[in-house]
Amino acid sequence: MRKTFADFVAVDDVDLAIPSGSFFSILGPSGCGKTTLLRMIAGFLQPTSGDILIKGRSVLDVPPNKRAVNMVFQHLALFPMMNVAENVGYGLRRRGMPREDVAKKVEDALARVGLPGSGTKRISQISGGQKQRVAIARCLVLDPDVLLLDEPLGALDLKLREHMKVELKKLQHEFETTFIYITHDQSEALVMSDRVAVMNAGRFEQVGPAQELYYQPKTIFVAEFVGDSNKWRGRVAAIEQNRVTVTTAQSGRICGVAAGPCSIGDDVEVFVRPEAVALSRDGSTLQNMANQMDGEVVSVLFNGAASRLLVRARETGDEIDVALPQTGEFNDLQAGQSVSFGWSDAQTKCFVIG
Amino acid sequence: MMSFHRVLHDERVWSFALVAPALVTVGLLFIYPLGFSAVSAFSAEEGGWTFANFIKAFDLYSNDILFTVVIVSLSTVLIGFFAIAIGGYLTLGENPYAVAILKWLYRWPLFIPFIVAAQLMRTFLAKNGLMNNLIVGSGLLEPMQTQSFLDWRGIVITFVWKQTPFVALLVAGAMASLDRSMIESARNLGASRIRILVEIILPQVRPTIVVGLILSFVVMMSVLSVPIMINAQTPTMLTVDMAFRINAYGDYGVANALGFISYLMTGVVAWIYLRQGVRQGAAP
Repeated sequence: MRKTFADFVAVDDVDLAIPSGSFFSILGPSGCGKTTLLRMIAGFLQPTSGDILIKGRSVLDVPPNKRAVNMVFQHLALFPMMNVAENVGYGLRRRGMPREDVAKKVEDALARVGLPGSGTKRISQISGGQKQRVAIARCLVLDPDVLLLDEPLGALDLKLREHMKVELKKLQHEFETTFIYITHDQSEALVMSDRVAVMNAGRFEQVGPAQELYYQPKTIFVAEFVGDSNKWRGRVAAIEQNRVTVTTAQSGRICGVAAGPCSIGDDVEVFVRPEAVALSRDGSTLQNMANQMDGEVVSVLFNGAASRLLVRARETGDEIDVALPQTGEFNDLQAGQSVSFGWSDAQTKCFVIG
Repeated sequence: MMSFHRVLHDERVWSFALVAPALVTVGLLFIYPLGFSAVSAFSAEEGGWTFANFIKAFDLYSNDILFTVVIVSLSTVLIGFFAIAIGGYLTLGENPYAVAILKWLYRWPLFIPFIVAAQLMRTFLAKNGLMNNLIVGSGLLEPMQTQSFLDWRGIVITFVWKQTPFVALLVAGAMASLDRSMIESARNLGASRIRILVEIILPQVRPTIVVGLILSFVVMMSVLSVPIMINAQTPTMLTVDMAFRINAYGDYGVANALGFISYLMTGVVAWIYLRQGVRQGAAP
């Protein structure tokens, strides 16, 4: 599919197939074209070229109110003048279903999303999480072939968002409907999805399971966008099979694995995850690691299980983000203390620039 | 006695000074004439209070009172219909060129005074006016079959033509400010565009429609030029009757009684307007 607005290409020859009943996420920064893609699937926009097939049939000539595709909007778009049951039953009434059947299906749908007996409540009387479920029930009660979700957790507070991630995944399993979820929040995509497409500038950079995107990124954009990384720029100094040695701008030497073909002298970017970096007080436990450095703790960034250390390498002056092990061994580390750290070359990804 | 320095620093004094010009304007230009008119309506020529002016007004002009209510009410309904249709198309229309043309065109009558609108309609709606010439020219009617619309229909057409843009402007603005995703959501759930307009959009912009129609109702009640230029025969509107009582007989008593009846009619809709304003938190 391709979609252009005058000279601007919003979606640039995207081609994907989503297995029925799976949870598929499109992850990308604002303006990358993911909402445009979703709106084309929903029928609110026509592609400039290409086709959309659902269950093997093209839906391009099917208007949005006739497509077997429903959408949960970013701000939910519940109808404030209707109560919960009227909201959930709206689509069923549009299909001409008898009133008694609508009431039965609505109550059943509300029970399945954990809101039994809430039908008579006004929309203004329910919480953010409950609104979320009403919006989902309003779509799922229609038994769509595909449910589109346009960043529906964006307006929720952090705690509720974390809770709703799990709820959404459960609901998808329960209803066995194909979910297409778009988000700029990598943790939402990684936690819930069977497969994730990382989108950038209208194109898919990489499509695969969350683990693959995280551990085997294929492009610089994916390595940078998915998860946190330490990043260096440098030049390939030596190559041995797919192992490369890179000299960084600060005259450091980093050993890693090339993510694609490269040659000596190529300019590269090198990525290492904070959790791939091992800490040692005296360096004795780092002897098998291809990359070893001594440094000084610049600051301790305490965030519970996600706590980090910012460490400055003594030789190069690079500041490196290191995940603080949760074993308790390094809980006493403080800014100014000396530490050794290192990581394996297998966990160091090198991408040729350009 | 408060010193001059203290007066300068008293917030109440400054507040009163700020609202005083508005109060004086309202008092001189609205409350005084309204009160004077009401008192005159109930005053006998020889002095004292009387209902004679009202009895005479009802004797002579009860048909015109009914005519005025019907004309203005019918115009209000039609204005509401067309304003909703225009606002609805501007919000839900899928042809961007048609939407752009409508958006450009529909406001024009706003800038034309009532008296000019009435003159335009005289040349357009007359038996040998532009409308009939077009119909005859297109072969739909023979010249002998045409008829003049310069009667109650002409007044309604002029009022609707002149006031629809005003209400449409308010309604289209209210519709445009709705969350667009709510409209798309209804569409996504299977609603046609007409159903979205009726079931989703209208309930949410209803207060704006009511306010727009009430303001139009009050404006139409006060227009003299349109009925006097388009429909000089009886029955006609109360504004024409008031002008006639004063110009022909110098009969301010009956004219004021007719005015008082107009106040009552507009008072009813003003009460609806104020109630709407209180519900919304503040009248627009």
